[in-house]
Amino acid sequence: MSDRLTGGTGTSQIGGTEARSSRSLPVLLIPIAAVGAALALIPLWLGDSRVLMGVAVLGLAFACYTIGFNVIFGSTGQLFLCTGALAGIGGYGAAILADTVGLPIVVSILVATLVATFTGGLLSFVAVRRSLGVIFTGIVTLIFSLSFEALVFGLSHLTGGDTGRLIDSGTDSFLRDRIPPYYLMLALLLVFLLVHGLLRRSHMGWAFRALRDDELAAELAGVDVARYRVYAALIGAAMLGLAGSTYAFTEGRISPTTFGFGEVDVVVLVMLAFGGIGTLFGPIVGAVTFTIVDEILIEFGQLRQVAYGILIIALFLWMPRGVIPTVVSLWHRLRGLEGSSAAKSTDSAAENLKSVSGESQSAE
Amino acid sequence: MIANILDGIVLGLQFGLLAAGLTLVYGLGGVLNLAYGQMAVTSATIMVLAMDAGIPTWPAVGLGLLAGGLLGLLLDLTILRPVYRLRGEARVLLSLLLTLGVSFIVDGFLNWRYPLKALSLHIGGGAVEILGVPMRRGSLVASAITLVTFVGLFVFFQRTSLGRAVRSVIEDEEGARLVGIDPNRMLRLILVLSGALAALVAVTRAMVSPVDVQSGLSITVFALIVTVVGGLGNVAGALLAGIILGIVNVVAADLIGSYISLIILLGAAAVTILIRPAGLLGVKE
Repeated sequence: MSDRLTGGTGTSQIGGTEARSSRSLPVLLIPIAAVGAALALIPLWLGDSRVLMGVAVLGLAFACYTIGFNVIFGSTGQLFLCTGALAGIGGYGAAILADTVGLPIVVSILVATLVATFTGGLLSFVAVRRSLGVIFTGIVTLIFSLSFEALVFGLSHLTGGDTGRLIDSGTDSFLRDRIPPYYLMLALLLVFLLVHGLLRRSHMGWAFRALRDDELAAELAGVDVARYRVYAALIGAAMLGLAGSTYAFTEGRISPTTFGFGEVDVVVLVMLAFGGIGTLFGPIVGAVTFTIVDEILIEFGQLRQVAYGILIIALFLWMPRGVIPTVVSLWHRLRGLEGSSAAKSTDSAAENLKSVSGESQSAE
Repeated sequence: MIANILDGIVLGLQFGLLAAGLTLVYGLGGVLNLAYGQMAVTSATIMVLAMDAGIPTWPAVGLGLLAGGLLGLLLDLTILRPVYRLRGEARVLLSLLLTLGVSFIVDGFLNWRYPLKALSLHIGGGAVEILGVPMRRGSLVASAITLVTFVGLFVFFQRTSLGRAVRSVIEDEEGARLVGIDPNRMLRLILVLSGALAALVAVTRAMVSPVDVQSGLSITVFALIVTVVGGLGNVAGALLAGIILGIVNVVAADLIGSYISLIILLGAAAVTILIRPAGLLGVKE
């Protein structure tokens, strides 16, 4: 949906997808660079406070998680309720490999990411093979999340159980400084954005859109639906594992709540739903918004959860497509109504609305 | 071994009762109520507050059951209205997300206002020996209540015309509408019933161990797992799945240890879903 945000006016809707992929690289790179530049300025503003920088790093980590979840759920409609668990495999895995086994930090991050990638791919493979629908995929991955949580509590000599585990590796490096971790996570985020953006323009992006809009039609047109679902899960899980392990090293301490279902999965779902499921920049909008909202609500303690509940309900009742797509299509409609020669532009606004809702139909 | 199996059955009956209210609402309305555990906890809190206010135990429990039913009615009248307008998977997904929101609101409120309240119902008297195994009286009373409830549910669905009407909607909503049954009224009835069942879950659990305001999520999760294993919409399946999973859990806990037993329980549920997506007693669509 980035093309619509960056001024794609829906000139030729029929050839819309074609136009999208043949467009030159700058159309993709410029907005990503703009996001990067804007986020790079944040330390100038919050850099004095260790606490606030910590919040900002966590916000970036959540943006990364949301992109990973978006690649899996937004692109191919697989409801993976194990975002936290896959990130946790990365986080706990890397911490154990670095501290207990004694591998270098970079190697342990890579190995843990590989394990998370493989796990995500396996879950998707099983779900695809058994042709589980959205709900059953959700339940199976939820069961996986709970098993992971039980394992974290159970293997307390490795994970520190309830109280969590301190990570010794990297203690005196830039990873625990005040500002460098922020730029590390930001770099990761920009890479993820770029990967997702390129993915959308590649043949894989075509396949994703086709199978999400109409699975049967895609299958009939020769798209190997099963294979592309697994691809999406592999890429998304790799992002989750990488983000989780990197975050673990910058934080220096991980506990079950760092990667818990309620603390990660639910929040990621809300962030993505807010920003717009399946969109390129929606995860950033959602993550930034909710990181700020969370900071504002922090003094309300338990009532913060009430606020989250109300937000979830309001969001899915009135803007099931996400706030950004809703605002964009509203803007298009207003512009369409304003134009006095109207007929043509109204048409294109209507087309736009249709294509927006078409794109998110299966995601709902 | 006999002791394990008896313990497993006691736990399994609890699991079965947990799932009954959830599975009915799903089977009838395609609504996956993730606030189910919170309904149980809210009812439990109301019982505690009533007892604190000096109301004797059993009238307070009655009040809690009534409150559970009203909560179900409230859900039906408010948050589920827009859900009913959708069909198929979209309906399940929206109901799941909206009730997740409700569960957050309820959890947040209870943890803020009544963080330390917990319902426990002590059943006096010593252990009772069954097949040579001493069993706690509380567990036995809880199991008896569960069994009576299931018998009541079966009689309701098999013998009464209202119960048959509900079943006809589960089997074929359009067909039921054609013979003059209003699916929405049946759904409202089942939501009230489901709320009361959630409250009953709190009561029977409280006879074995305290039900605190934090237990909502775990109640929902276990109810969901048992529901899925038993077959969505299938009360008999919920009972069977509950007992099997209960025995699996207790035996695994005895042989291996507690946290692995939870993983084995979850694994058993996952394997069942993968082998028989329709559930143990489900019919393939």
